[in-house]
Amino acid sequence: MMAVFSLLTLLVVCLATVLVAVHGLRLSRTTSDFYVASRTVRPWWNASAIGGEYLSAASFLGVAGLIVVSGQSGLWFPIGYTAGYLMLLLFVAAPLRRSQAYTLPDFAQIRFASLPLRKLTTYLVVLICLLYIVPQMHGAALTLSIATGLPGWVGPLIVAAVVCLTVVSGGMRSVTFVQAFQYWLKLAALVIPTVLLLVRIIPGNDPGMRVQQLSERMGDGGSLGLYETISIIIALLFGTLGLPHVLVRFYTNPTGQAARSTTVIVLGLLSIFYIWPVALGVLGRLYTPEHHAPGNADATVLLLPQWIFDGWAADVLTAVVVGGAFAAFLSTTSGLVVSLAGAVSQEFFAGTVRGFRISTVIATVAPLLVAALTSSLALAGAIGNVFAFTASTICPLLLLGIWWRQLTSIGAMAGMLTGAVSCALALLVSGLLAESESVLAALLRQPAAWSVPLAFVVTVLVSLTTAKRVPRNVDRILERLHVPERSTLSD
Amino acid sequence: MSQDPDVHFAAQRPARVRVQAPADAAVDLQVPSAEHSAENFYVRQLIRSQLRLAVSVASGIIVLLVGITVLLSYWPQISQITLARIPLPWWILGLGVYPLILIAGVLYNISAVRNEKRYRSIAR
Repeated sequence: MMAVFSLLTLLVVCLATVLVAVHGLRLSRTTSDFYVASRTVRPWWNASAIGGEYLSAASFLGVAGLIVVSGQSGLWFPIGYTAGYLMLLLFVAAPLRRSQAYTLPDFAQIRFASLPLRKLTTYLVVLICLLYIVPQMHGAALTLSIATGLPGWVGPLIVAAVVCLTVVSGGMRSVTFVQAFQYWLKLAALVIPTVLLLVRIIPGNDPGMRVQQLSERMGDGGSLGLYETISIIIALLFGTLGLPHVLVRFYTNPTGQAARSTTVIVLGLLSIFYIWPVALGVLGRLYTPEHHAPGNADATVLLLPQWIFDGWAADVLTAVVVGGAFAAFLSTTSGLVVSLAGAVSQEFFAGTVRGFRISTVIATVAPLLVAALTSSLALAGAIGNVFAFTASTICPLLLLGIWWRQLTSIGAMAGMLTGAVSCALALLVSGLLAESESVLAALLRQPAAWSVPLAFVVTVLVSLTTAKRVPRNVDRILERLHVPERSTLSD
Repeated sequence: MSQDPDVHFAAQRPARVRVQAPADAAVDLQVPSAEHSAENFYVRQLIRSQLRLAVSVASGIIVLLVGITVLLSYWPQISQITLARIPLPWWILGLGVYPLILIAGVLYNISAVRNEKRYRSIAR
């Protein structure tokens, strides 16, 4: 019965996504519509779309799973995901919008007119998007096989097919509507089960015993050490502002100030959202059966209804959660696919609509294959690693490119390469080593606390030694980034 | 009849090639006038004030978050303080931090607009 309900909601979510996309198709006519929604998207729509795009498998399933596994330490992930948007607001939102760059490689080109830097940025964007899509596919595999018992490859295949269809048919304009709709869907899919679970539990038969356990099971400080926690905070804070699929969104704001207002609304939407996975994580910590395999903590949100309710109520609530989870996979993956396809089509197909469509197919099939060949890590942890990588590579380019006039293209490239190599090597080595409590193991497991500063230092030092290569038009470029548009004068 | 020589001429002429300068090429040719350098000064002031604002808000939040981490790490007994039977750190990390992040964002937004208004009133 549960399988039937779950497949039904899955079908509804996929159909609704495709329908909204087709509705967008009638509105999207020009190449510009296709890529950037012609910049006519209102802040509320845009903020919902950003929220919808950003709240991925890691937020929907991973946060609660992490709280079940590592207790109090898990609370830092949603805080970091939210505070990362604050950093984006402070340092990137308005200037990036005013730079008129559509993608990160565009920004690199506008700022430095350097082809090698543009290419390096493109390759990093492609890598980051791939690393970010694969966990979404793993989440889809886990969700579908838990809810319906279907084999693991069906979930990712559904996600890839729906995303390919929506992106190819409508481009950015329809994706905006789809994602805005999916934010609210995801929120509802967590709020409804959480409220019903709490209503069921609070006047339940065994409040005394459970509440006793409450402080017992929440008493310890969590499983992460001080260094690792700080490193995660740094990775999430500085990783968010380099995420390619998030940055593309800012171009759809009409002005720099609109970009800022949108980001403030996003901060509110994220704060409202993260209450619920945290609450579900706490419930999961209380109600996870003793014999439940710890490896499947990411499924907590999906399994909680069955642990607390029985009969049709459990089936319906599980189906609601499955619908929300697929909304999360679909929206994040479509955002990433738009960026990935955008980067690939600009690089290899001269930015035509046809090239964009071919690139979209490539951008969904490639991660599908990677996901099939790799096994799932803890979702929130896997995404946390991508944030560490972004913070060590894209973040120095963006922050220094926007705020420091002495930055040179050679300096930016040196910093990005240093950050990419050191962060990736550390993560690979720690993946190969056995679990260990030593300081070195922690340094490798969570490299952001040293790899991000290292990337910044290398960028600055190399820029200073190549000071002659500071672009001659740097003043004019920085003026474009920071001076408010004329239209904001009137209000 | 009179069109013929024109057609003949047009055929001989090489095809027109549209010459386009990169969007920023003109910038290098500008002679720095006194007016321009004055404006440049105001732009640099604007950038500096926006950066100062952003860095102070960011360091406030980073100090807050790292401070909480250090506090929880060196004072684990704080978990014995409970509110509705839930230990205090869970309230702080699960709910309390978010309004602070939001308030920081709203205040930053207001101040950033003020900086830009000031720039507009000085420059031109």
